[in-house]
Parts: sequence; structure tokens; C-alpha cells
Amino acid sequence: MKRVIKLLDTKRMFWLVLFIVIQTVALLAIPTVSANIVDYGVALGDIDYIIRFGGVMILIALIGFGAAIANVYFAATESQGVGTSLRKKLFDKIMFFSSEEINEFGTSTLITRTTSDVLQVQQVLMFSLRLLILNPLRILIAAVLAFTRNPRLSLIFIVIIPILILFIAIVLRKVTPLFRSLQVKTDELNRVFREGLTGIRVIRAFNREDYEEARFDEVNEDYKDTSILSRMYMATLNPIMILLASATSIMIIWFGGQLVSMDQMQVGNLIAFTSYSINILMGIMSIAVIITMLPRAQVAVERIYEILDAEESIVDPEEPIEIAKDAGEVTLEFEDVCFRYPGAEKLALKDISFSMKAGEKLAIIGGTGAGKSSLVQLILRLYDIESGSIKINGVDIREMSQSYLRRLIGFATQDALLFSGTIRENLTYGNANASDDELWEALEIAQGYDFVSNLPNQLDSRVEQGGSNFSGGQRQRLSIARTLVTEADILVFDDSFSALDFQTDARLRAALGPVTTDKLVMIIAQRINTVADADQILVLDNGRLVGQGNHEELKENNEVYREIMESQMKGDDI
Amino acid sequence: MAKEESTGYLRAQKPSDFWGTVKRLLVYMAKRSWALFAVVFFASGSAIISAAKPGLLGRATTIIFDGFLEGTALREAGEQIDVHPIDFGAIAQIARIFIVLLVVQAIFNYVQNYLTAIVAQRTVYELRRDLKEKLGNLPIQYFDTHSVGDVMSRAVNDMEQIANTLQRSLAEFIMAVMTFIAVLIAMLTVDVTMSFIVFASAGLSAAFIAFIAPRSQRKFAEQQRLVGKLNDQVEEVYSGHTVVRTYNRELAEVETLEEESNRLYDASWKAQFYSNLMMPAVNFARDLGVFGITLYGGFGVINGTVPLGNVQAFIQFVNRFSQPVRQVANLANNIQITIAAVERVFETLDQPEMEEIVSNVEEKENTPYIIEFEHVEFGYNSSEELLMTDFNLQVEAGEMVAIVGPTGAGKSTLINLLERFYDVSGGSIRYNGKDIRDMDRRELRKHFSMVLQDTWLFNGTIWDNIAYGYEGASDEEILEVAKAAYVDDFVRRLPKGYDTILNEEGTNISQGQKQLITIARAFLADPEILILDEATSSVDTRTEVQIQKAMEVVLEGRTSFVVAHRLSTIRDADKIIVMDEGDVMETGTHDELLEADGFYAVLHNAQFMGAEDLDIEDSDYTFGTT
Repeated sequence: MKRVIKLLDTKRMFWLVLFIVIQTVALLAIPTVSANIVDYGVALGDIDYIIRFGGVMILIALIGFGAAIANVYFAATESQGVGTSLRKKLFDKIMFFSSEEINEFGTSTLITRTTSDVLQVQQVLMFSLRLLILNPLRILIAAVLAFTRNPRLSLIFIVIIPILILFIAIVLRKVTPLFRSLQVKTDELNRVFREGLTGIRVIRAFNREDYEEARFDEVNEDYKDTSILSRMYMATLNPIMILLASATSIMIIWFGGQLVSMDQMQVGNLIAFTSYSINILMGIMSIAVIITMLPRAQVAVERIYEILDAEESIVDPEEPIEIAKDAGEVTLEFEDVCFRYPGAEKLALKDISFSMKAGEKLAIIGGTGAGKSSLVQLILRLYDIESGSIKINGVDIREMSQSYLRRLIGFATQDALLFSGTIRENLTYGNANASDDELWEALEIAQGYDFVSNLPNQLDSRVEQGGSNFSGGQRQRLSIARTLVTEADILVFDDSFSALDFQTDARLRAALGPVTTDKLVMIIAQRINTVADADQILVLDNGRLVGQGNHEELKENNEVYREIMESQMKGDDI
Repeated sequence: MAKEESTGYLRAQKPSDFWGTVKRLLVYMAKRSWALFAVVFFASGSAIISAAKPGLLGRATTIIFDGFLEGTALREAGEQIDVHPIDFGAIAQIARIFIVLLVVQAIFNYVQNYLTAIVAQRTVYELRRDLKEKLGNLPIQYFDTHSVGDVMSRAVNDMEQIANTLQRSLAEFIMAVMTFIAVLIAMLTVDVTMSFIVFASAGLSAAFIAFIAPRSQRKFAEQQRLVGKLNDQVEEVYSGHTVVRTYNRELAEVETLEEESNRLYDASWKAQFYSNLMMPAVNFARDLGVFGITLYGGFGVINGTVPLGNVQAFIQFVNRFSQPVRQVANLANNIQITIAAVERVFETLDQPEMEEIVSNVEEKENTPYIIEFEHVEFGYNSSEELLMTDFNLQVEAGEMVAIVGPTGAGKSTLINLLERFYDVSGGSIRYNGKDIRDMDRRELRKHFSMVLQDTWLFNGTIWDNIAYGYEGASDEEILEVAKAAYVDDFVRRLPKGYDTILNEEGTNISQGQKQLITIARAFLADPEILILDEATSSVDTRTEVQIQKAMEVVLEGRTSFVVAHRLSTIRDADKIIVMDEGDVMETGTHDELLEADGFYAVLHNAQFMGAEDLDIEDSDYTFGTT
């Protein structure tokens, strides 16, 4: 919580506090003036006095109202502003997470922490900013005023306040653990309910509906009982308040009356004292209620800072190197690369070495879990390798900045993920300056020209979230076109042709040839046809490189490759 | 001060049938009508006492003031007095009454609070229980057409809203109304003219509220909408993280999100501003009221027409009168939102349930087939075209049927029909000659067991998750299947063994190990017929081999329907069903189908590349699950 408080703007906080002070003073000045009117105006029959101080009262009320508007404004903008800056910090942090951190936290919790947790902090901050300043101040000023008016009558507060605080402390002690367990039970209730929804088929298939109902009933009942129990304690707060506040009033009348009778106090003070007493008791109560709200905000803050404090596993070098780059002279080199996923026992890739240069086409083939996608992710430095090195133009990629490295590479992901927006926005994702002509050209190569030009709005056609309004094949073609638009020197297609039929696949590869003479092209595929015309084919199996060469060579002397081929080509040759 | 309502993050919606829903909700609560009446009684009592107290204290003040004035008058007359002649006997009398009243009020208040908690929590408990029970009786179709998020938000957000409102607003509302009436009467009995000053002050409060409340609600609604929008955007960008990073678009995306976040800021601070303005505005109106009372009362006291105590009493009346006005204004909005929530819950409770149907298909005696599809027609939506038009299949006991086809081909449709998650639109599916619609669903499902790709396990120990397969299985039986399904193997290596709790994210065991547990679970059920969905998700090689072996053990000698991805499984199948676009394209054995050179042959040639067991990742044309 401290770290959130540090985010507050000192200057604006100064104004906030100032206006709260003004509001509080005005709040307590009203009964004070009111008492004076009774004592000096009413009791002495001085009508002038009444009118004059009546005017003062209006003025104070106006000032109080104005100060309240001002402090509510500052509290609202500050509390929401801190939330907004927390969100920005989170965006900045999460966006630069590597895949490792993203997987470690999980996308869904990252989303909740960015949205709901921040909202929670904002809400509690709004309350606390005003009320945690206003209430202590109010108690203090009321106590001072009471004391200066009549120290002896103020003794009543010395009796009442400890009793109130004691009661509140007892109730909170009883209730806090109950609230905490209620929070756990809410989660449990939701979890069991959610399981009942997600597992509906399994539950019915195994005839376990009754068991599920009983399981839910158990947590539901437990939750109900705990809530009622917590309410049983909470319900005492109100009556305590009633008892103590009323007891205070009657004591003020009784003892105050005696002081009046002995000329030791004026009558108007009776009214003022009652007002002060209510302010003091309400102030204490208010603070108590806010205290019960703080733990929840505390949890939210902790969850947010867990992200902000996370160490990034991949960081840029202090002095990044840029490669000497002339078109057509790019090379890529893997040297004894070993890699394992964080926390994994087994190596995902072991001793991978190969090299290629501009104008070449490299294909990678192998079964699921063979390590094809892992290899590609390493080039992009989405993960760091364990040993060995990956070099572009002789420079280790770890010596470059990540953004520079990724500018060199155009990457078409396996899932062909598109963003909501228009087709144009998606295609220019990697190159904001691309002209429409360039986009159409890329679409033509990616075999997407026909279907896009047939859409009523063409490049301005709407893409729904995840590209759900396009078929798998269309999404892949758009994703390929997006990669082509980037002008990168290294083009990587991670299983990007899988949803295309044979003819489209072949046409696409043919169209790719002429525009990639000065580029490195890397294709991951499952189909022999897709890889057969590559200059170099890597055969991966279980994380190891079991074959390397062109189609003819591998056909001749690689067992794994031949098996793959035979199962796919029934008789006819290419 | 503490009860400032914030309805910021709720789904602000208007109910479509307010009173109808209220009536239904009351019926729900009718069971506790004694408690409800008690709440009304105690709340009213508490409110009345609360309204009477200022008058009493006022009278005491008047006695003191009168005594003081009398003393002053005596002094002016030249008499020597040490003590003003205040009638403490009368004050003591008032104090006694006062103390009795406040003790009664405190007790009433406590009882009312406690009873409200019981009414609220029990009502919501029953609503939740009924909702859960209802979901147990809804057809699978409901779950296929409503997202988990949608149902959850009814069960969680809406329920919470209802509970909170019943808990807080119910009593508050009664109190507010009763206080309003009681204070009104109390005021009028004390002084009519000053009452009008209070009315004026309350009227001003109402005017302020009428100005602020709609603005605050509008801003809250806008905030709500923007939170939703930001949520969507954040979700999209976080899920597309790899693309964002590889295209170097981090800063651009941060900027877009920030813009949205700033728009939200704009709405949210205004929402907070307006809603928090309510209190100071009402206080200001109250202060003006106090001013009016002091002024008028002051003159009155000087003229001798108004006792001082009445002035003091009215200063308190101003306070107590403006409170219910503000409360009711706040509550009105909250109650509307709550009734909308209740409506959504009732909407689910009103969904049509599964029906018991009679097929009118005659039972076949002595059929050799354990499962038989006869001219089956089926479509998910009665208004749309049928997916399946005329499907026939005969399966003998012990046979293995492989189901293959591209993603989205409708392979799960067959599972849905066999388990009677859906009923056929025409034709008949028979189990041992009897139409399955004529069997009780539970009875039918006893003969089946299934292992799906989506490895549903609940949050509990590994042991309990296996035991889920068959109620009343002995410990030995559970251990036996765990060993057969290779679960025992890895469980022994876990620190807590079988007592390991499977948590929600399931991070403590791997996907492959989860699959082994579901196999063990199905094995324990020991069904006549097994429905099995082969794994396509990437699991490490060792576990994959174990899964394969475990499946072989379970399949042995059993009639089975296997959604197949492996060439070996397909080759070994007694029958292969090839599906595409919801319909069955071909059936036959592997060799027959290759011979026919139809859809199967195309699929097979296009896809099977591995020596044996390579499966295909999610693309459009794979032998994948739907």
C-alpha cells in the first residue's frame, strides 16, 4: 500500500488536504456559531447578533460546500489517476515480458490484474484519500473545541471514546478472520460452480449429478453460515453506536445542566457539545469501516506489484550492436544450440548446428514435439538458449537489441493470429508506411488477392477479434501477407501453409521465389511437398537434428525422411 | 458517512418487468415471511424511537434554559442565588425514559440487522441451490449455446448483487421510509412553522440529488462500458503477445491501451466525483436548514413563542429528515440494478428442461448388435438444415470403431448422440435392440464411459478424481486402475502422492499426466462401451507412450468408439467412420476405404506423414477433434 501512496502527486495532495481541512473546519464551525447565537443572541435577546452571525453561518456553509466540491474533485482525479498510472506501468511491463514470463503468470491472471485489481485499488483509494484524512481531523478539531469550551464536560468523551474503540476492536477482531474465510469460501463456491459448468459432459457421462449437487450444497451452506455469523457480529456495531451516542447526549444534558445551573457553562454549549460528540463518534466509526476495506485493496496491490517487480528473463545488452548489413548478404548460423523450457527436465533442442545465407530457402520438418517451433522462437529470442550460439552476419543475437533483431525477421505464427480492426491495419502491422500497392502485391504473393478483392470493402474489411470471421486458410494467407509487408531480411513461416490446399501451397511457394532472392526464407512444414524444393531441409526428431540436406539427398539416405515421404506420397513422384 | 453507495462495477441494466420480478422474488422470500414481518416491525420501532429522541432531549434543554432564564430574572430582580433553579427532577424523569427507549432501540436495531442477514443469506442460498439444480436438468444444448462466462456471471455477480441489496438495502429502505414518516409526525407535533423550514431544506436536498444522481449514473454506466472495452483490448493484446513482440509493436500497443485507459479515467473520475458530491450537497442543504431554524427559532425564543428546546430538537430533525431522502435516492438506482440481476437469474430458472421422450420405435429382440444406428437424422438446431441425413451403422460387441475427419467435421456429434447429450431428429439409435430414447439417461450412461481430450478434473485430490469414475469403488480397485493406467508411476514421485490436490491452473501436473488420470477414471467405471478421444496435444514422449499403452489396456475386449488421430489406431479399427461437415461421408475398413478412393483416401494421403504415430497440429484439414 505504501508504494501506491508514493505514486500520489505531492502538489495535488497538498490541495486535497487543504480543502479537506477547510471542509472539516467549516463542518465544526457551524454548531459552534449556532451555539454562540443561542448564548449571545437568543439568551441576551440581541436580534442584531442573531442576524449577523446567521449571515456568518451561511458563509461558512458555502465555504464548506465549496471546499467539499474541491476536495472531492482532487480525490476523484488522484485516486483514478493513480489507477491509470498503475495500468500504464502494467502495460509497459507486460508488453515487454518474454514468453517465459507470460507463460509463468498466465494470460488470464495478467488480464485480471490489469483491470479488476486496479479498479479495486482505485475504489478503496477514493474512500481512503478523503475519509482517512477527514475523519481523524474531524475528531481532533471537535475534541479541541469541546475542551476549550468546557474542559470538565469534555471528561464525558474520555469515558465514552475508549469504550467505543474497545467495542469496535473486539468486533473487528471477531469479524476480520470471518471476512477472510468468507473470501476463500466465495472463491470455493465459484470454483465448484464453474467446474459444474465446464465438466458438464463428464459429470453426466459418469452419472455424478447428485454428487455434484451435494458438493455444491456443502460449500453453499458453509458460505451462508459463515456470512450469517459474520453479520451477527457486524450487526452489533450499529446498536453500540446508538447506545453510546445517546448516552453521550443524555450525559451532556445532565452534567451540562448542572454546570449551567452553577453558572460554569452557557446553555448554547449544550447544543454545541451534542454536535461535537456526534462528530467524534461518527468519525471513529467511519475509520473503523474503512479499516475493514483495506485488506482487500492490500491484496490487489500485492498482486499488481508482483507483476511490476517480476524480473525479466531476457534483457537487452547495455551496448547493442547492429550488424553491417548490405542487401543480399545476410547469413544465419546455429552453432551447437541447446535449449530447454524453463523448469523442464529434458532439453527441447540438443546440439543443433546449421547455417544459411541470403537467397536460400531452409525447411524444417518433423513430428509434433520434435522442436520445430522451439527452434524458430529461439531465432526471435522469445526464449534464450542454454548453450551454443545463434548468429546473424556473425553477430550473436544476444548482443543485439531485441527490437533490432526482430526488425530483421518477419515471422508468420503458427496460429495465424489476427487482431480486430481492418485488413489494412493487420497487413501494415509490421510496416506502418506500406502503400496500398505494396499490400496488394503482398496479398498476390500470399494468394490472398482474390478473396480480399472480392470483399465489399476490400482492404477496409472488418477483422473480428482473432480473425474469427475468416477461415483458417484465409487467416494463414493474411498472416503470410502481413509477414511479406515487413521488408525483413529473414522470413520465417511457422507451419503457415498447413491450411492451404496443395495447389495454393504450390502457387504461393512459386510466387515467393522471385521476391526473396536477397532474403533468407525459413519454412516449417508437415508436408513433404511444401519442403521438397528447399535448398536445405532439416529433419528434427525429439529435439535432435536427425537429417540435413536437400530433398534428393535425404530421399537417398535418411530413414526418417523417407518414412515421412512414403506415408504421404502414394506411388507418384513429384 | 460510511454507507456511500457505489454501484460502479455492476452491470447497470434496467429490468424489463420490474413488478413481476419483485413479486416472484417476494414469493421466494415468503417462506421467511415471519422474519420479514419481524424485520419491518423492528425497523419501524427503531425508526420511531429514533424520531422521538430529539423531542425528548429538546424538552430537557428547554427545562435547563427556562431554569437558567428564571435564575437570570431573579438575579436581575436583585435576589442572591448561587444556583439557577433548574428542575433536575423533571430532567431525571426524561433521562430515565430516554435510557429505556435507547436500550429498546439498540435491541430492536440488532435484532433487525441480524434477521435481515438471515433472510438475505438464506434467500440467496436457495436461489443458488435452485440455479445449480436447474443446471443439472438443462439439456446439454443450453451449455453449448451459453458461454461459461455468461452463466457464471449470473451465478456470481448477479447473486452477489442480490445478496448485498437484500442485506443492506432491504432494512435501509424500510428504515428510511419509517424514519421519514416518524420524523414528519414528530416535527409536526412539535412546531408546524419550523417543520416547513425543514421541508424546504429537504426539498433543496432532493433538488441537488435530482441534479447529481442522473449524472453520476450516466458516468458509471459509461465507466462500465469502457471497462468492458478495455478488458477486450487487453485480452486481445495479451493473447497476441508473441505477434506484438515479433513485430516490434510493443510501444504502439501500449499507446493504444493507454488511450483507452485514459478514456476510462475520464469517465471514472467524473463518476466518482458526482457520486461523492451527493453527501456534501445534502449537508449543505442541511446547513441551510439549520440556519433557518436558528434564525426563526432565535426570534421565537426572544419573543417567547418558541421554547429553546424546540430549536435544538429541530436542528436534529433537519439532520434526520434529509437522511432518508438521500438514502431512498441511492437505493432507487440500486434496487433497479438488483431487480435486473434477479430477472437474469429467473430467466435461467425458466429455461426448458430435458424432456422424457418415448420413441415409439419397436424393440428388436435378439439383435447381434450392441449399438445400431438406423437412418439417423440429426441437426443441432431444429430450424436449420439437418447435418446428418441418413446414417446407418451396426456395431457388434467388442468392435472398435474409429471416427476420423477434419476439424469441425462433427466427430463430437456422434459422442453427443451416443451419450444422449442430444437426441436424434429422426431415425433411431439402438442399444441391444432398444431405442436409447426409451431408456433413462442415467441408465443408458451406465453402459458408457468416456475419455475426452479436454481433461476435465475437479479441484480435489488425485485419488478422489480417479474415484469419481465409480461411486463406491474400493481402495484396492482404485489402486489397481491407477497402476494399470500408469498413474501410480508418477504419483509415487509427487511429495503428497495420491493426496496431491489438483489446482485450478493444473500447473502441478502435466497435461499428459492429467490424461492418464482421466483414463484411470474411465477404467474404474468399467463400462461396456468406451468412448475415447485420442490425444493430439503435445506431451512428452515418455508420457505419450504411457498414454498409448494405458489406452490399449482400457480398450482391450471392449466395444469402443475412438476419435482417432493415429494411423495405427485407424488401421486396427474394425470400422472407420469418415465425417465431414457434420455428416458421415463413408464407412468401412481402412483397406476398403482406400480402395474406394474417396474422401478418406484424400485425407489419408494428404495427412499421414509419420512412420506411424505422428499426429497433426490444429489446421483446417486434419484428423483433429471438433
